[in-house]
Amino acid sequence: MTIESESSYLPEEQGTPAASKVAGFLRAMGAVVWKDLSAELRSRELLSAMLIFALLVILIFNFALDLDPATRREPTITAGVLWVIFVFAGTLGLNRSMAIEKDRGCLDGLLLAPVDRSAIYFGKALGNLVFMLMVEFIVLPIYSLLYNVNLFNPGLLLVILLGSIGYVAVGTLLATMAVQARTRDILLPILLFPVVLPVILAAVKASTGFLDGSEMDVIRPWINLLIAYDIIFSAVAFMVFDYVVEE
Amino acid sequence: MLFSFFLQEGPANTTNYMIAGYAVIFGVMLIYLISLLVRQRNLQKDLEVLEEIQGEEQ
Amino acid sequence: MDSKPRLLTIIDIVTVVLLLIATYMVFFYAPQEAVMGDVQRVFYFHVAAGWVGMLGFIGAAVAGIIYLIKKDRKWDIVGLAAVEIGIVFIFINIVTGSIWARPIWNTWWTWDPRLTTATVMLLIYFAYLMLRQGIEDPDRRARFAAVYAIVGSLSVPLTYFSARIFRTIHPIVIGSGDPNATGSFDMTPMMLQTFMFGLLTFTFIFIDLFWHRIRLGRKADQIEQLRLKTME
Repeated sequence: MTIESESSYLPEEQGTPAASKVAGFLRAMGAVVWKDLSAELRSRELLSAMLIFALLVILIFNFALDLDPATRREPTITAGVLWVIFVFAGTLGLNRSMAIEKDRGCLDGLLLAPVDRSAIYFGKALGNLVFMLMVEFIVLPIYSLLYNVNLFNPGLLLVILLGSIGYVAVGTLLATMAVQARTRDILLPILLFPVVLPVILAAVKASTGFLDGSEMDVIRPWINLLIAYDIIFSAVAFMVFDYVVEE
Repeated sequence: MLFSFFLQEGPANTTNYMIAGYAVIFGVMLIYLISLLVRQRNLQKDLEVLEEIQGEEQ
Repeated sequence: MDSKPRLLTIIDIVTVVLLLIATYMVFFYAPQEAVMGDVQRVFYFHVAAGWVGMLGFIGAAVAGIIYLIKKDRKWDIVGLAAVEIGIVFIFINIVTGSIWARPIWNTWWTWDPRLTTATVMLLIYFAYLMLRQGIEDPDRRARFAAVYAIVGSLSVPLTYFSARIFRTIHPIVIGSGDPNATGSFDMTPMMLQTFMFGLLTFTFIFIDLFWHRIRLGRKADQIEQLRLKTME
């Protein structure tokens, strides 16, 4: 690679400062997302692992909860099982996605690149979000099919999106820390689950509401809470991300 | 029956629970205090050993 | 290590005296509650222990923020001290609450918002300790611990908030009163005095233990430095 072609990736320092800064930020972020997605398209190891894991959890729940046709249509059960699947599969994905960066030394490479650290954070978080959403939107029809419940409810999809954003926002930050620890295989769920609990709580409640066909008045507070949590967690993770990648 | 003692006259006899509660409070605080003391002593010993080694080196 | 400061010795003595008086007040000064009986006396130190737990965790978050700004190891030691004391007292808080709940709510445990929040708090700070254990490099350990303390302390009120939207049976003795909460009661002046005195006592216990724990942490840090020097 020549020097000229390399420098074209750098954010432009000249020109209108604010606009070019935003453009550079978006470009860097897009590059990180694109790197993750294209690597995944080639290997497919992350997605397939998450998916098979999700299917296994569905299978286990079937026997563990003895889901007979009457109970399995209970909205509480469905929402609960779905979120347990998402949370566990999400942990798997987050750990893997950050461990790859660490092992292949990509993280160090990314940090050496002259881009804003927060662009790396948002890039990784967006990549993780895409993976999580992909798994979720494959799990949903399978779940509907296996348990004969209709999950294609726009409200539910919205809740899943909002819940995943909050989960990934804080999960990306904590996974970045966890993979740098000696005990990294076990650390992420221990760090993540208690912290992300408010998001999961609100997401399960809102999902149950939509599956239940509850009034909007009942569901709206939970949706608002989810949005608030998403903003709070993204903002804080973004502010402190610098400190977890610093050498 | 649930909360049956609300129907009875006078206060419920829950002295044992109170004793258990305060046993936990003072017990845990004592254990923590002892752990602080033990750690303090061990550190002091380590410090003395290290200082001795340094003294020998010089 | 510098010798023990005079002020610390004074605080030690004051704390012990206060604790003796507070214990006396709990058992002999405060009147017996008319319905619940003696178990209500657990309430005084139960709430006070919860208060110390909160102080510890707020302290940890503040120390975390200061550490990230100043990058001074001192604040890492302070943060760890705060978390450790917080864990001890929130544990006391949870267990005594459970003992109180057995005769009053007829169960050891419910998933009431306060109980949930206290448990989550305990779990978050156990995770904090595990995170520290997994990292050898002291500076990185301090940075990660600070970040986690900040994120964790943010999550605790959010958990409470979420769980609060459900109906609660936990009595709120201070402030507002939901008369339907099982086990709530009105405090007589003597009970209030005992309660406030308990809070004061436990605040002193917190300050005293905190100071001792920070000194301990400083000593451990000093030894670590010395060890590194000797190994060279």
